[in-house]
Amino acid sequence: MTDPILRTEGLTKNFGGVVATNDVSISVPRGELRCIIGPNGAGKSTLFSLLCGMHRADAGRVLLKGEDVTRLLAFRRVRRGIGLTFQTNRAFHRLSVRQNLNAVLQIMRADRPADADERYRFALDWFGLDPDSEMLAKELPHHRLQWLEIAMVLAAGPDVILLDEPTAGMSSDETLQTGTVLKHLNSSGLTIVVVEHDVAFVRDVAQRITVMHQGRVFAEGTVDEITGHADVRRIYLGQA
Amino acid sequence: MSHLLKLLTGPEDIGRSRWFWATFVAVCVFLFVYPFWLSEFEATNNAYYLLNVPIALGLALLWGYCGILSFGQVAYFGVAGYVYGIVAGNMIGNAAGPIVGSLCGLAMCALTAAIFGYFVFYGRVQNWIVPILTLVLSLLFETFLGQTAGYQWRVGIVQIGGYNGMTGIPAFQIGQFVVTGYSFYYYVLIIVVIGYLSLRILVNSQYGKVMLALREDPIRTELLGYDIRARQLVVFVIAAVLAGISGLLYVQWGNYITPSQVGLLQASLPVIWVAVGGRESLLAVLLSTCALNWLNYTLSSEGYQYALIIIGALLVAVMLFFPDGIIVTLARELPKRGWRALVGLHKGKAG
Repeated sequence: MTDPILRTEGLTKNFGGVVATNDVSISVPRGELRCIIGPNGAGKSTLFSLLCGMHRADAGRVLLKGEDVTRLLAFRRVRRGIGLTFQTNRAFHRLSVRQNLNAVLQIMRADRPADADERYRFALDWFGLDPDSEMLAKELPHHRLQWLEIAMVLAAGPDVILLDEPTAGMSSDETLQTGTVLKHLNSSGLTIVVVEHDVAFVRDVAQRITVMHQGRVFAEGTVDEITGHADVRRIYLGQA
Repeated sequence: MSHLLKLLTGPEDIGRSRWFWATFVAVCVFLFVYPFWLSEFEATNNAYYLLNVPIALGLALLWGYCGILSFGQVAYFGVAGYVYGIVAGNMIGNAAGPIVGSLCGLAMCALTAAIFGYFVFYGRVQNWIVPILTLVLSLLFETFLGQTAGYQWRVGIVQIGGYNGMTGIPAFQIGQFVVTGYSFYYYVLIIVVIGYLSLRILVNSQYGKVMLALREDPIRTELLGYDIRARQLVVFVIAAVLAGISGLLYVQWGNYITPSQVGLLQASLPVIWVAVGGRESLLAVLLSTCALNWLNYTLSSEGYQYALIIIGALLVAVMLFFPDGIIVTLARELPKRGWRALVGLHKGKAG
């Protein structure tokens, strides 16, 4: 079995009296494309914020490439190879495409993936983004804005990227193209974890699926295992 | 060298064309030549319009490029001025005194800003709390200085002087050459030109690109791998040192400083200079600072009592009709819309 690049152990986070994630333990092997699904409020985005360091966990651990990064600040985790796009697009809307891409730290760490630049250029080509464009990000169509943020994360040369609903608001063609790019990036060795609601997209791209419900990991398995899971169909897929 | 030139003519400030740089050089030549037609008194007045440019450029860097509004830049103006007065005053008769005083003043600015900024930025203080804290620091400093009137408030032979201020501060001198009159004008002009060009290089560097990202979204910037606390602190210290340079020039110009120089009224002026021109352009801030200082000085010196009210009204008008600043808005809109840009700019922006 491939060693896990990203692992959590008993990750728990409370906001006031609300338990957002409760004893979440997941393990993502290197090179996997994992989708995390679950109803609204299941704790998916909170899990991402705990993984990348935006929030501190109340209990549990986060391990990135075997190293305990639970107490590390977000920027230190990024420098160790994690990248994140937000549920609500947070490219720099008032800056140009060029400025957005130029703002990314070109991390020169020893274990930067050899083909990081190649992945970045591939994404720019497929997304049709001109790195010298002076067009303001806010003037881009929605799907290109989403792609811009993914390209920014790739520019830093991550080992694993966390994408929070990357296809939200996209047409089916745009969703399909996003899936194609993600699958290609994954085939080049990049580990990708995606939170997504679009079941068709998940079926298209996922190698394994983690289902979250009420802050806990409810089920985990291959696409066929999850889509055939009676309780998952009941709580999430809305089928009897 | 070519890399520096590329940074100098980079896209993060108004004016990149050959025409712009030709005009810039012509204006610099004119500014170097025209004191020949002025009296020494007039040249010194012109130096006064220019000496506030560094503090304004520092605020533009901090607020316009990095997204951190400081309402207390005058605190560093005052720190540099008072420290210079104390050190140079105690070394009077020693030709090295003004240089040592200047270095001590700027070092104290950097140290004060680094300590204050450490608690602000490493404490993750953001948004509107920062201008309030910076203003409080400035007002505390003013209050402290105001109660230093007694004879016991002296450092060596220099009286701090309470609200009467510190007087008899030595002029700047290099060796035996005392920088005053015409030479003071050129001294200030050279500092302003070098300061402006250096900051242009900074904002077009990789560091500058990250500042823009910080301005737009600090969280996103941190999640691109940057220690935003350290970045914000460095820019804060640079802005403080620039404010300190203005403070030094001010005391070397007038040979005195009073606590009112770090008070509420003075604290608001750099914000007005920067907002009126347009905080997201160094050139705009340079021009508006010179223009507004000239306006304020001219109105005040002609006995007009309401100079500051006019300046304040100008700020309100700019915020209503040119929220990005007059010069920045015109520079963006004129090429697109011609002189029609002057009409209804704010409506266009809102739409």
